[in-house]
Amino acid sequence: MAERAAGDDVDQHRAAPSGRYLYNEDRRPAAKTRSRWLPGGKQTRPGRDGALPYLMIAPLVVFIAALAIYPTVLTIIEAFFHSDPLTPPNRFVGFGNFAGIFSNSQVRTSFENTGWYALFGVVLTVSLGTGIGLLLQRPFRGRGIILAIVILPWALPGVVEGVIWSWIYNPTVGVLNSVLKSLHLIGQYQLFIGTHRVETILLISLVQVWQITPLAALIVLAGLQSIPDELYEGASVDGASWHRVVRSITLPLIRPALAIATVQALVISLNIFDQVYVLNASATTGSSLMSTTYFITFQDLNFGQGYALSLLATVVTVLAAVLIVKVLYRKVEY
Amino acid sequence: MKRRLRGSGRVVALALVVLWSLFPVYWALKTSLSTNAAAQQAPAQLIVTHPIWASYQALFGAGPESADAAGGIARALVNIVVETTGATLLTLAIAVVGAYAFARLRFRLKGAIFYVVIATLTLPVYATLIPLYRIMSDLHLVNTYLGIILVYTSGFLPLALWIMYNVFMALPASIEEAARIDGATTLQAFRRVVVPTARPGIVATAIVTFLFGWGQFIFPLVLSSSSSTEPLTVLLAAIDSRNVPYTIINAAAIVAVAIPAVIVFFLNRWIVTGITAGSLK
Repeated sequence: MAERAAGDDVDQHRAAPSGRYLYNEDRRPAAKTRSRWLPGGKQTRPGRDGALPYLMIAPLVVFIAALAIYPTVLTIIEAFFHSDPLTPPNRFVGFGNFAGIFSNSQVRTSFENTGWYALFGVVLTVSLGTGIGLLLQRPFRGRGIILAIVILPWALPGVVEGVIWSWIYNPTVGVLNSVLKSLHLIGQYQLFIGTHRVETILLISLVQVWQITPLAALIVLAGLQSIPDELYEGASVDGASWHRVVRSITLPLIRPALAIATVQALVISLNIFDQVYVLNASATTGSSLMSTTYFITFQDLNFGQGYALSLLATVVTVLAAVLIVKVLYRKVEY
Repeated sequence: MKRRLRGSGRVVALALVVLWSLFPVYWALKTSLSTNAAAQQAPAQLIVTHPIWASYQALFGAGPESADAAGGIARALVNIVVETTGATLLTLAIAVVGAYAFARLRFRLKGAIFYVVIATLTLPVYATLIPLYRIMSDLHLVNTYLGIILVYTSGFLPLALWIMYNVFMALPASIEEAARIDGATTLQAFRRVVVPTARPGIVATAIVTFLFGWGQFIFPLVLSSSSSTEPLTVLLAAIDSRNVPYTIINAAAIVAVAIPAVIVFFLNRWIVTGITAGSLK
């Protein structure tokens, strides 16, 4: 339910050529055109459809207000209260919960770990996704089937993927060990998860990368397909090499798509939980912010610290997403 | 010459992409059809020579290795279907009606309300998880279908609204005008003309929403982890942490994978539409 920072303005750009915002005006009758709502624009003659619109959006507004906005406000408030069902009463503690989580070395480690998860998640997902997008850019026989195969990991539950990969990583009979040993890359079977921190994080992150790369590939593919063919034709007339075409035409023009793919990968990897829960459980080695929040809250029942950690993580996620959009996203003119 | 080389490099790259995407699932399937001994051979056997169904029989309580180890998978399967389908239908009903109002009708504060609803897309799980647990336990909705469906719906609504809003904005307004000229009210035009025309967009939204629901884990882990309501994902994590044979764990994973895999292979063009319209997960 998270992780969609850039969708709004980015989609506006992408859909513009097909006329969502630009041409819709022409399709509307003259009387309606004037009061049409434009993103960021003003509504000139409100209320002309009477009560009907309010009835139509009422269920939506109730759901969002009660189960998205109200809980978020509660998180912000409760982060400053002591709230623990085992040691009542609840009381205001200022920044006490934050002091509590920062003095907890497990929490500090999970912050660092989450940084690694984000780094691996973004770099691997965006580069693999871009590669797959470029590979599928031109139509060829069987592309439809390959596209379906590429999408598959995205459609599967993260937990199930964690379970499937934990069997692949198995220290005593896993296929990864078997393959690496046959290739003489390792002398004997290894314990991959839980020994070295960065290795553990990389391998758990890889499971998530496997899941979300299709998303990046589809976003990049959509960006690629919006590039006019003439640009490529011009380049091939000029005798440009494939590498040069990719570097100086393709990549700059899919910059907005890359920005969305990056934000998506970042937000999803900052929220990594399912894969960590299965592969790492509550160990500190590969703990993520989300898994630490879960265990502090629902295992230690320290709700106050759970709220504080949630608030911090929310702020980090939203800020990181906004920052990436600001840095990477720019409109492209063909 | 150069061109040919490029062509074969491309084929190798495509083969690697296919291998990367399919191998983990293949491996689970292969393990689930093996005997315990065959599954644990070293070096690993890449294919299964004599496939057996014993793991699936054990899972569903019919085999010799009967399944207090695994038990409850039939119920968990029912739970995940009920919860996912319920949330998908509720989300669609609310989002389609709401998106139409935002796309076509005029009312006060429209822009502001729309932006606030869409902005909740950026809220990470952290922001709402603990309060939703408190709210649901105050309402006695923990471990009920209704509770989990309400929570899922609140989470899926912004994306479904966004996709459906784009779908309606892309439809020419002339179709409703024709209906209005023929004397239909706004609601009649919506029901009889707009919804049927927007059907492809609605199907895409439904499929993407269903897959989200099927993949949920942390919310049901917190909100419905009793056996009467736990979805398959939560049960699978529990089986995985118990001392159950690998063959049975992998069979359970394949059961959880089957429905999304079928959807991907038969309905993938809707998924592409849904993802690129929303460009989100």
